[in-house]
Amino acid sequence: MRQLRIDMGKCNAGRDCRHECEEACAVKVFKLDGPEHAALHIRELPDGTGQAILCDQCGDCVVVCPADALKRNKMGTVVLDKNLCVGCYTCIGFCEKHAFERNPEWVVPFKCIACGICVKACPHAALEIVDVPTPDYRII
Amino acid sequence: MNMIQVNGDPLAWSAGMTVRDVLTLRRFTFPMLVITVDGDLVDRKDYDTAPVPDGADVQVLHLMSGG
Amino acid sequence: MSSNTIQADYPQFHRCEVDFTTRTEYVEGMEALKAAHQVLKEWTFTPSLPERGYTNRTLYLNVGTLEIRERPVTQQMKDVFTGGRGFGLWHLWNAVTPKTRWNDPENEIIIMPGPVSGITQYPGSGKSLVVSLSPQTEIPIDSNVGGYFGPLLKFSGYDGLEIQGKSDQELIVFIDGQKGLLRVETAPAEPVDSHVLAEILTHMYAEDEKDRVNISVVSAGSAAEHSLIGMLNFSWYDKRRGCIRLKQAGRGGIGTVFRDKKIKALVIRGPEVKGDLNHPKDFETIARTGIKLHKELRSNDPVQCLMRRNGTAHIVEIMDAYDLLPVHNYQYGSHPETHKIASYIWDQRCTQRTADGCWYGCSMACAKGADGVELRTGPYKGHRVTVDGPEYENAAGLGSNCGVFDAEYLLELNFYCDTYGICTITYATICAFVMECYQRGILDKERTGGLDLTWGNAVDDLEMMHQMARGEGFGKIAGLGVKRMKELFIRNGWGDPDLINDIGMENKGLEYSQYMSKESLAQQGGYALTNKGPQHDEAWLIFMDMVNKQLPTFEDKAEALYYFPLFRTWFGLYGWCKLPWNDVAPSDNAKTSEPAKIPEHVQNYLDIAGAMRGVKLTSEDMLNESARVYNFQRIFNIRMGKGLRVHDHAPYRSIGPVTREEYESRIERYEKELREQAGIDPAGLTLEEKMAATRKYRTDRYEKLVDTVYARRGWTLDGVPTQARVKELGLDVFPELVEIVKAYGG
Repeated sequence: MRQLRIDMGKCNAGRDCRHECEEACAVKVFKLDGPEHAALHIRELPDGTGQAILCDQCGDCVVVCPADALKRNKMGTVVLDKNLCVGCYTCIGFCEKHAFERNPEWVVPFKCIACGICVKACPHAALEIVDVPTPDYRII
Repeated sequence: MNMIQVNGDPLAWSAGMTVRDVLTLRRFTFPMLVITVDGDLVDRKDYDTAPVPDGADVQVLHLMSGG
Repeated sequence: MSSNTIQADYPQFHRCEVDFTTRTEYVEGMEALKAAHQVLKEWTFTPSLPERGYTNRTLYLNVGTLEIRERPVTQQMKDVFTGGRGFGLWHLWNAVTPKTRWNDPENEIIIMPGPVSGITQYPGSGKSLVVSLSPQTEIPIDSNVGGYFGPLLKFSGYDGLEIQGKSDQELIVFIDGQKGLLRVETAPAEPVDSHVLAEILTHMYAEDEKDRVNISVVSAGSAAEHSLIGMLNFSWYDKRRGCIRLKQAGRGGIGTVFRDKKIKALVIRGPEVKGDLNHPKDFETIARTGIKLHKELRSNDPVQCLMRRNGTAHIVEIMDAYDLLPVHNYQYGSHPETHKIASYIWDQRCTQRTADGCWYGCSMACAKGADGVELRTGPYKGHRVTVDGPEYENAAGLGSNCGVFDAEYLLELNFYCDTYGICTITYATICAFVMECYQRGILDKERTGGLDLTWGNAVDDLEMMHQMARGEGFGKIAGLGVKRMKELFIRNGWGDPDLINDIGMENKGLEYSQYMSKESLAQQGGYALTNKGPQHDEAWLIFMDMVNKQLPTFEDKAEALYYFPLFRTWFGLYGWCKLPWNDVAPSDNAKTSEPAKIPEHVQNYLDIAGAMRGVKLTSEDMLNESARVYNFQRIFNIRMGKGLRVHDHAPYRSIGPVTREEYESRIERYEKELREQAGIDPAGLTLEEKMAATRKYRTDRYEKLVDTVYARRGWTLDGVPTQARVKELGLDVFPELVEIVKAYGG
């Protein structure tokens, strides 16, 4: 399945860039005003290390969605069907990677769809889309 | 003394007794408990190791549940 | 799995890898069924969505005269009754007179969701309350149910549905909330059993496959036609399984009223559900609080109650460990074979890895299903079905209380109760009663028409149920319920009347639910001092009383019996399921001042109710909203000829040991009680003398509890709300209520 992956060594937690990945994601993919609700986040931590919050397409949300609105597409990526979504936010609650986003304007949440726009935007080539085996669904 | 109180009822005490021992002896298998030993709250993660001294007043509050 | 489960000694089962997408299907021949419909009436309406939780109108339909009209939801209704059960009782009050019987056309079936019903963010927000005059108790019953009908009705434009009258031909009522159309049609050919009917109608009324999730069917079943114990199934469409699922408005016999009115089904087709259709004043608060609870369930449910895996059946082995599991008609509290029907069996047998909430967004998801069940008996023998359950009540009731410890038979008993439209709790207590009568020679094979009702005989238990569905044999007699069977057996001279009365576990005409109140004075009151009858949804105090010892005095017990029924009533005004309140707790709950009340969750509910309605609510408001409805219901009971102290009488089996074996099974406990509490030295007394002494002590103690509870509730010693209390609650806005309490010394 297609999955977004980051090399934190190349990324340096956003110290040497303007978080172009988040900006591109929010503005170009989700047509939002700013990076606050992008589908990925890069954070500097006080101890000098960094943290990337990304969706790894694990599929936990597919199991818990009561509307069956989250499914893997042909590329194995987990995508949300807005027409089926009932805005319950079980996905947000159950995602251990905090990969879901919601903003106050929309009832429907959103997530990374491994489109690769952030990959192109990163000045350090820290991001890439990889193809990895699809994991089995967990009982959670 | 070799005796403790569990929710007001006496229970024989033995050296090295832990909170977990009290739960096992009393068959307190209910999953949602609030436990104090002599007034001090015992965290769930410490049930296996938290000591219960001789003469202790142990309160094992079962939260209600019930369909 | 919780380290508290006692499974180490028992055989491990393989995790069930049943294909949950296949089962016997029933839609063949659907077109012919549809062709046989005749439209009796069509009525159009303008669909609307709620504003701040209310659409401000309810729908009235008379299935006899075919009158259809809208009724406004007035400000007074909201101020006094809030919604849900409150609105239901209000409409029923206006529909009936003190002379109305359950099978008169004036009796109504009223389905009322509440102002939060239909929100998708907070677990347990899809409930409706169904109200009617009960065939069993002859006073109002309020029965709580999940499933999709209530929210879809709300999103079609109505805060509730009232059905009055009686039809002389079988009807389906179809409400299309997308097109704004109500159609009453004859339905001569459809089968009545719910697992078949709900599937057929879901396919029939959905425009296409995607539309099926917008359909919900209310139906009963064949046993509801031949007994007083019918219930209503509320369906929803499970996309992953590709089948309908059922939740129940179980207690009180409303399914019997439904079939007596010759209603085969109610079908709603609602609009596509989205997250904000209730139009709350403050959506953000609801969204944030919902997400918080989803996260809490994610991390805490696996180490607390395992509701997502086992549903309410997680407490089967726990009740056994505490000697509180009803065994053999509440004679005993534990059994060596309980492990065969305990939660780890259901963990394996029920399908995991799917989303089992009975309304969108309920991540407590306790509506577990067992797939691939091949039925062994009855009209559907050989069919492969999905069983909704088992819940605790089914495992304890149909299971241990009747001596049945076979998991697959338990599933079959559960299944047939559901499809036949009878309440599993009621049937279980009925079956336990007749089995004990059989044990004691009050019944024998001649009197049962050949049924061998030995404890654990699931085959003859099922046959009794099939007879009930066919309306024949001893099954039909069993369908009268425990109260009427007691009267019948005594009339026939089949046994000692005192024994029969002692062991028949009913109060006000309704059977007890599946908890042992015998050693818990607080729970004896929790069951018998209820409005509707001994259902544990008012107060569940057994642990607080017997294990925690938090209620040592009469005043403590009375305080709990004042507070908890009011608190739990509140959920039914708003449309909430009570389970997410205390079947999961925040990690720091133990550190709060009153952990048993789960204070953070109480605040969640106040926040959401307030955010929905655009008001600020406190705990005191919560109690007042409930107290108005609770006391109104008590006065309604009095109006209908019950509701007095004499009707709050409890059978002795619910209070103490009836028989020698029961006494001997707990002899240390009873002797200690005589010594330390009653001031009687048991040494030198015969067993009969000890039993009599215990009985006197306990019955006196129960009466004293009743005195204390009534006083705390603001009622007279005869159980009548005082005029002062009625005024304090603002219920004197209805002078009729004051007149009634006055007439009974209130």
